[in-house]
Amino acid sequence: MEKVIKAEDKRYPRVLKELKKEAPKKLYYKGDWDEATDSGIFENCLAVVGSRRMTAYGRQITQKLISQIAGCGITIVSGFMYGIDAEAHQATVNVGGRTIAIMPCGINLIHPEYQDKLYKEILENKGLIISEYEGNFWPTLWSYPRRNRIVAGLSMATLVVEAGEKSGSLITANFARKYNRKIFVVPGPLTSNVSRGICQLIKEGAEVITGAEDILDYFGIRNKSKNNEDTNKVKQPKSKIEDFIIKELQREPLEIDELARASEKSAAEIGVVLSLMQLKGEIFLEKRKYYLNN
Amino acid sequence: MFVRIGSVANLGIETIGVDVEINVANKGLPIFEIVGLAGKSVDESKERVRTAILNSGIEFPRKRIITNLAPADVVKEGSCYDLPIAVGILASIMKFKLPEKSLFFGELSLDGTLRHTKGALLSALYAKEKGIENIYVPKSSANEASIVSGINVFGVENLKQLTGFFLGKTQIQKSDYAESNDTFDKPDFDMSEILGQEQAKRAMEIAASGGHNIILIGSPGSGKTMLAKALPGILPSLEEKESLEVTKIYSASGNIPPEGSIIKTCPFRSPHHTISQIGLIGGGSNAGPGEISLAHRGVLFLDEFPEFPRSVMEAMRQPIEDGLLTISRSRAKAVYPCRFMLVASSNPCPCGYLCHPKKSCICSDREIKKYTKRISGPILDRIDLRVDVPIVESDKFLENTKDIKRENSEEIRKRVVDARNIQRERFRNEAIFTNAEMKNSQIKKYCQLGKEAKNLLNQAVESYNLSARSYFKTIKTARTVADLDKSEDIKLNHIAEALQYRPKTHEI
Repeated sequence: MEKVIKAEDKRYPRVLKELKKEAPKKLYYKGDWDEATDSGIFENCLAVVGSRRMTAYGRQITQKLISQIAGCGITIVSGFMYGIDAEAHQATVNVGGRTIAIMPCGINLIHPEYQDKLYKEILENKGLIISEYEGNFWPTLWSYPRRNRIVAGLSMATLVVEAGEKSGSLITANFARKYNRKIFVVPGPLTSNVSRGICQLIKEGAEVITGAEDILDYFGIRNKSKNNEDTNKVKQPKSKIEDFIIKELQREPLEIDELARASEKSAAEIGVVLSLMQLKGEIFLEKRKYYLNN
Repeated sequence: MFVRIGSVANLGIETIGVDVEINVANKGLPIFEIVGLAGKSVDESKERVRTAILNSGIEFPRKRIITNLAPADVVKEGSCYDLPIAVGILASIMKFKLPEKSLFFGELSLDGTLRHTKGALLSALYAKEKGIENIYVPKSSANEASIVSGINVFGVENLKQLTGFFLGKTQIQKSDYAESNDTFDKPDFDMSEILGQEQAKRAMEIAASGGHNIILIGSPGSGKTMLAKALPGILPSLEEKESLEVTKIYSASGNIPPEGSIIKTCPFRSPHHTISQIGLIGGGSNAGPGEISLAHRGVLFLDEFPEFPRSVMEAMRQPIEDGLLTISRSRAKAVYPCRFMLVASSNPCPCGYLCHPKKSCICSDREIKKYTKRISGPILDRIDLRVDVPIVESDKFLENTKDIKRENSEEIRKRVVDARNIQRERFRNEAIFTNAEMKNSQIKKYCQLGKEAKNLLNQAVESYNLSARSYFKTIKTARTVADLDKSEDIKLNHIAEALQYRPKTHEI
């Protein structure tokens, strides 16, 4: 039997009805709708959207924010696209949270296909996969922006992490504004072109967040785990060069050659230290640059 | 009158003796014919010989001249039979006696002079092996032939001089070997000319020391080609035995210039990516050597590696593994050595600007995945080191006054030579020379890891998801790092450095 919820159905999400004419007439889904609604999956929804061309910073900050937010029981809604979307889903399932993926394609397809592992994990964690298209409908240019209205419509607030000019994330934010939902943005460096859309949203009045608390406050939830975060870490004594590297990386992510020049050590010596620090989990490498793990 | 003259046929880098038999008969119709499976180039030698003799001021006999190249069941190709045929005819009509135990080899020009002919070294080696004392070759090839000591090499300028010599009128000096300029020019770049790229340079040093294959990944203009071209400058020069191996291949393929001498620097070959399979591997109807054999004991640089056709890449698998290549064609068969160091370079993505500090990449995730998949997995498996070549922002460099002193190629080369010597000592009872050639059993024998180092490597396997092959590659690289450090054991920091050059996930 095909799993579908019609607009007349009692179980149809209340928040979506507010979209009036734009509300989807049918919602096809995967997962256990009744169990999900009973446990309030649509109560506190946060849409998380962002660029497909995610930077290492985007990945890091999404993981950090979403694991805290989802850990407090907020449902993360996104579009299952690679980049920030997938990262948000992934961070949620990693902390065992619930997440809803809105597909731009028919309910029987997984798009993009190679994220099938994430697809399974979402369902395993009692999340939902939703699409307004039936069967094997192939995603088209217009189905992506239409999908975005459901992402925005299901959520009380929309968080934009990284967005370029004229990006799909801005379309989602525009829907959120139209439906009178809150828009949060994560600030990024002005030099990056995936910050342009963010800057535009800030100018238009979106709220800048500086931590997960800003979002949790909006939903009226206290973050209990916050206080004991730092105390768990055992400080290990560090060598001089490790301290130097940490200090440099706190300022900005750097490539190995830049670290070698700054420290006036050979690439071989720096390479040894970086390999060891990386295996200890103190730093990580992304797109050639080393970042501090926090 | 019947004359028999010694010459040779070069099949690949093997040489067999060929008897050139000439019979000039007074009876019968005047004719000049060559028999004995002569190829087109040999057949054409009739006209060259006739004209050269005429232009040397000697009348060409209007008699029945039959030339036989024995053994008659081997196809002969090349222009080297001009001289023996001409000498045979001249000996018949001018009635001079040819010296015993001699070998003639060379191409004639229409005016009677001798031209530089490929394969002179091979015939000289054959002469020495068979106890032939005198070898007559074109003057411009005489130096090449006289690399072989213990035989008399006569560099002949033209037919007139040679007949004069045999008639006792003129003299031909025995050729003495003289070292001339090398076939390969000095490297285009010195390592000290390259700004930044500290890690890439270090990786080049490790690759050169252990003979490891390496892949350089970076945006256009980042300096991949420059690094590769500077590589010959840090490689040790060839050993005597290696030199001869390389020179033989170059001699067989006609790559030694006139007056050329033995090749002492490492060959550096960089074919364009439009190369055909035969061009790279070797073959053709005459089973000639390809670029991989010409790069024997040297560097094969494949720029824009993903652009090479898949079939060409795959064809390199066996030669890389074995260092030896057998080419079989219907009419020819040849075995060439091909123990080379592969240096490949690639862009990080189709547009080339992934990770570029200023330009942004326009490739989608999928395009990048597709691009990286173009390089054959089995070939990547045989590449030990993978290194990023970032764009160097030269403006940043000019600001930075406390620039690290940049080493020149010669200083790096000294360390490489030391490391190579350690390896030679280690493998003196094995059939290999470098760490890169180690098989798994040899890795177990020669690369004992300390407890600390082993723990680190296991931890890395866990967190980076390293394959079994990557595991062994890391150990081989660490062995070379330890050799550069002049350390007997592979220590923790050697493994840690080797891990820098591991294959990174989702990238080439």
